[in-house]
Amino acid sequence: MEPDVSIETSCMIRIAVLPIGQIAPSLFRDYVSMLDRHQKIDLSTINSFYTEHQKSPFSNQPWESGSLRFKFMIGGSPPSPWEDFQSNRKIHAVIGICHCPSSPDLNSVTEQFQAACKPYAAAIVHRCFAFCPADSQLEQHDNKKEGSLIMFPPADRQTLEFHLQTIVQDIAASLLMGFENWVLQAESGGTILKTPLDSQASLVSEEVIKAKKRRLGRAQKTIGDYCLLSGSPVDANAHYSTALELSRLTGDYFWYAGALEGSVCALLIDRMGQKDPAVEDEVKYRYNSVILHYRKSFIQDNAQRVSPLSFELEATLKLARFLSRRVQAKEVVELLTTAADGGKSLIDASDRLILYIEIARLFGTIGYQRKAAFFSRQVAQLYMQQENRLAAISAMQVLAMTTKAYRVQSRASTMKNRPQSEIDVDQADNSKMHHHLVVSLFESQWSTLQMVVLREILLSAVRAGDPLAGWSAAARLLRSYYPLITPAGQNGLASALANSAERLPSGTRCADPALPFIRLHSFPLHNSQIDIIKRNPAREDWWAGSAPSGPFIYTPFSKGESTNNCKQELIWIVGEPVQVLVELANPCGFDLNVDSIYLSVHSSNFDAFPISVNLAPNSSKVIMLSGIPTEVGQVKIPGCIVHCFGVITEHFFKDVDNLLLGAAQGLVLSDPFRCCGSGKLKNVSVPFISVVPPLPLLVSHVVGGDGAVILYEGEIREIWISVANAGTVSVEQAHISLSGKNQDSVISIAYEALKSVLPLKPGAEVTIPVTLKAWQLGSADLENLNKNSHGNLARQAKDGSSPLLMIHYAGLLNPGESSAYGRRLVTPLNICVLQGLSFVKARLLAMEIPAHVGDNPPSVDQMDGGLTEVVDDSESKTDKLVKIDPYRGSWGLRFLELELSNPTDVVFEIGVSVQLENCNDKNSAVVNGDISEYDYPKTRIDRDYTARVLIPLEHFKLPVLDGNFLIKDYSTNAPASSKSSSFSEKNMKAELNASIKNLISRIKVRWQSGRNSSGELNIKDTIQAALQTSVMDVLLPDPLTFGFRIAKSITEVVTGSDVQNNSSAVKGSVVANDMTPMEVLVRNNTMDTIKLSLSITCRDVAGENCVEGNKATVLWAGALSGVKMEVPPLKEIKHAYSLYFMVPGEYTLLAAAVIDDASEVLRARAKCKLLDEPIFCRGPPFHLRVNGTL
Amino acid sequence: MTSTACFMIVSRNDIPIYEAEVGAAPKKEEAVHQHQFILHAALDIVQDIAWTTSAMFLKSIDRFNDLVVSVYVTAAIHTRLMLLHDSRNDDGIKSFFQEVHELYIKSLLNPLYLPGSRIKSSHFDTKVRALARKYL
Repeated sequence: MEPDVSIETSCMIRIAVLPIGQIAPSLFRDYVSMLDRHQKIDLSTINSFYTEHQKSPFSNQPWESGSLRFKFMIGGSPPSPWEDFQSNRKIHAVIGICHCPSSPDLNSVTEQFQAACKPYAAAIVHRCFAFCPADSQLEQHDNKKEGSLIMFPPADRQTLEFHLQTIVQDIAASLLMGFENWVLQAESGGTILKTPLDSQASLVSEEVIKAKKRRLGRAQKTIGDYCLLSGSPVDANAHYSTALELSRLTGDYFWYAGALEGSVCALLIDRMGQKDPAVEDEVKYRYNSVILHYRKSFIQDNAQRVSPLSFELEATLKLARFLSRRVQAKEVVELLTTAADGGKSLIDASDRLILYIEIARLFGTIGYQRKAAFFSRQVAQLYMQQENRLAAISAMQVLAMTTKAYRVQSRASTMKNRPQSEIDVDQADNSKMHHHLVVSLFESQWSTLQMVVLREILLSAVRAGDPLAGWSAAARLLRSYYPLITPAGQNGLASALANSAERLPSGTRCADPALPFIRLHSFPLHNSQIDIIKRNPAREDWWAGSAPSGPFIYTPFSKGESTNNCKQELIWIVGEPVQVLVELANPCGFDLNVDSIYLSVHSSNFDAFPISVNLAPNSSKVIMLSGIPTEVGQVKIPGCIVHCFGVITEHFFKDVDNLLLGAAQGLVLSDPFRCCGSGKLKNVSVPFISVVPPLPLLVSHVVGGDGAVILYEGEIREIWISVANAGTVSVEQAHISLSGKNQDSVISIAYEALKSVLPLKPGAEVTIPVTLKAWQLGSADLENLNKNSHGNLARQAKDGSSPLLMIHYAGLLNPGESSAYGRRLVTPLNICVLQGLSFVKARLLAMEIPAHVGDNPPSVDQMDGGLTEVVDDSESKTDKLVKIDPYRGSWGLRFLELELSNPTDVVFEIGVSVQLENCNDKNSAVVNGDISEYDYPKTRIDRDYTARVLIPLEHFKLPVLDGNFLIKDYSTNAPASSKSSSFSEKNMKAELNASIKNLISRIKVRWQSGRNSSGELNIKDTIQAALQTSVMDVLLPDPLTFGFRIAKSITEVVTGSDVQNNSSAVKGSVVANDMTPMEVLVRNNTMDTIKLSLSITCRDVAGENCVEGNKATVLWAGALSGVKMEVPPLKEIKHAYSLYFMVPGEYTLLAAAVIDDASEVLRARAKCKLLDEPIFCRGPPFHLRVNGTL
Repeated sequence: MTSTACFMIVSRNDIPIYEAEVGAAPKKEEAVHQHQFILHAALDIVQDIAWTTSAMFLKSIDRFNDLVVSVYVTAAIHTRLMLLHDSRNDDGIKSFFQEVHELYIKSLLNPLYLPGSRIKSSHFDTKVRALARKYL
């Protein structure tokens, strides 16, 4: 059988084209391609070369429209035993091609050519084309004038082609004349025409007449063949008709079929260019008859040796090819299926090979790609049976053609076919994919077939010695079908990959990736230290608006801007290294060594750094790939370049994304990441990355270590933050701000320290002092602290309660740039607040120390506050504190008791200081300023101890009991209050609150621990809470104050100064059994006149009333009870009386008064509920010592 | 029962969703591959023939060597039940196809089954093999 047969094959003149002498294959191919254009020579063009020696046997030669057809057999072909049967199988001419520069000796060329022509006995014309001859060769040629060697002088291509065309036309004319000769001879003399089918036996037994007729018929058929070759279909048809008649009569079915085939060809040539359905039907009909007669000619006895089956199949293929041009798929399929069936009984393996090749080609032409692939694979299998390298190469190439139908193409071939723009689009828009699109990605995934095909390609590539094709096939097999391959098989493939790679030069690239699977994991966000902020050149605060401000993620105002950058955008900076996280998976059962892996960037403005990775069997790993952008522009990262198994491949993220998508839809066998135990990951798409010019880069650290600053609650400390420019551009603008929680814990920042050093050159450094004050821990924090007392420092420092120091900075703004960028440095001020002193409770304590009754009348003020200040200024302030003069006593002295506990493991020292307002300096000892501070002695609280700190509160008493403070109570008592009163009420209330606040703010509790921790206890709220209930008592004086003294004689009063001097001697010296004149002083502290009835009692040590009753030991003169008096506002009134003590000892004098017609103010002060309730006012007790008589 | 039979269901986009060797002959891997290759190649013919007839059962549309391909096309052309066999028991094959079609519809009705994905149900497999024993 012959390849590439068609009905028109019968009219083609075969010309062997042979290389002569030394000639490079590429040159030979080049010359042949020039020759190949002249496959069809019009008869009209060869008219000039045609010299009619005798009358042409082709009477109906169409000189105007006809043509000769050449079929160039490159490299020649072996003689066929069927040459007699089909004259077109003969080689009618031989053309040698010689490249003169490589074969200088023309004689040897001629000899070689003659030797090469020997096998082609039937050849009529011999020509040897010598290209590019040297001048000497031309001369040599001219001298010899030999016919067969034709020189093509060196010329440009066009001239050469024209020259060649002329020569070919000459050849055509010679052939035509040769055919004429042959036909004339054949008509005159009998030529014996035989085929391998004709057995010797049949020759003997045949009848003579029949044999003669048969011979005649065969001769007519052959003449017809020559007519066809000569381009005269009409003549051919006439001869074929005779031949048909004769062979039908003689029962020579084989030749009958041959003649019929020829007549169909003649018909087609005659009707060339016409589309006539009748002709088609005729061709179909006649060819079916041809097939039938070939089948009929099958003779059983020589079936082992030779069979007409190949002619039957060839005829089938010819018809199929004819019909395939007319797109009659169904009939073609039937014919081809029949032909394939017939292939089984073909004897010659190469015949079957040709048959399958032709079937595959024909299926391909009618668009049945899968059928074509099927038969191609059959062809490949036949090639593989031949067990030699050339056949293996052929098998590999044939299989490579099937890969498209089986969807196992090498990426190299698909890339070639796709325009670049399409790839770009694919890469840009891979975020959304619909189900049907996903399905279409996995179209025709017949995994079994695909694996078989790939395995066969691998096998043939190994045999053919093509390591790259083998590597590619093994890589595709391993990557796509690892779940279907046993671990042993996977190991085998891995070693196949390694073996192939050994035979490849290092640095070989392959389009098909093998392992590992690589997917994009994430782009690590910028370290907060190097945040990039888009600059708003229109504003002074250029960073404003770049980051979402406010509590909303989405704001309607930012919507308009966000439409154009709907995709995630990433900014990289020239010269600053960037990282990308990718995840690798090795789902196979062997250790995978990735020699190097780095990001693949096509935009050539990025330097990627390779790293090497080892992946254990069935494992996945997230690795960080880094690189440096080198130029401003865009960066696209479609995937990674991997050097693994000795070959460099590019792995696209998109492929793996599609694979994972398919796995999610159940279309792919397995998800390589999930089977490696890696979790499901959100589909990460490569963001739009733009590279911007260098920016300054500030780095900061806290001087003394970046660890958290551990502070006790309320502690104040200064830290220094060192900021250095690590970039290559100087900082031109910088602005410090605070954000985050607990911003108020930053007391001060030295802004000017940074401002003063601008511009900050690269490498320069500046230190910014910041003063911090630790905040109070909330109750939740405290709970946490109690729960886990250890290891909470780090957690607390992390949980974001610390304030953030933000420095927005930027380089010089180029006016031309549309989008400039600045940066933000966020330095967390890591403050870890420890629980310091904790406040347990606060309460007010009252303390009563009765005063002694002496000669010296206590002043009004001193009566109120029992605390006295030592007059002597020279004494240190600390000695001045709570010292009580026994003759004044202390009534109404109140202490604020703070109970503090120290849960920490350090010692705290508490110092309380009170700012005193020296409003009335009459009695105040301190005169050196309006406001003085009293420091009380320090209290030390050991670890895990609780201590109480007392804060005396006397100094706060107001001198006058005014109605102002009591309006609140007043109004509650009188519900029908007017609007104005409510207004004043508000006013007054505010005043009261203000005075309380004032009071509280004067108390400061400071603590110190160790050498450098100190702070202030924030206990304002607690003090206020403690004071709230008894603020009246603390702040307001009683309406009446009482005092006792021993009345002096008049002379003594006159010389008061003496008394003062020797008072110490007589002070408190009351003698028993003596009349002692005494005075009680009643002072009105209010603004109104008070009417009252005073009564005085005297008690002994046992507390018995010793003035009245049965056992009265004290006699008296004057009124002691029911003394009516009227005290004008802010005045005091004396009431004199005398006592006579019969028994020496300690006595206590008490004054009390019932206020008549009490005003509202008094009523409110006394907190009495009822209107008619008498208001009882009691004075503090006074001690009186009565000495016995000496 | 036939000695060689390979049954496949091919879904939309020519993705095979079920395959079973239902012949009585001992199974060889090479043969299984060859069967699938033949069925795969027959898809070309099915795609043309399916539009020329209203019948769902397309009798022996293709053959290679001794093996014949019969196809049953579901109404939407999306799914093709393909059988490669060496016997010529058309009636049996037709019944087989009809019953398998019913089974296939049942599995389609399963809300957990994503149309177009592989049929992994062992129940389906068992039933198909039983039907093959019964009819082929």
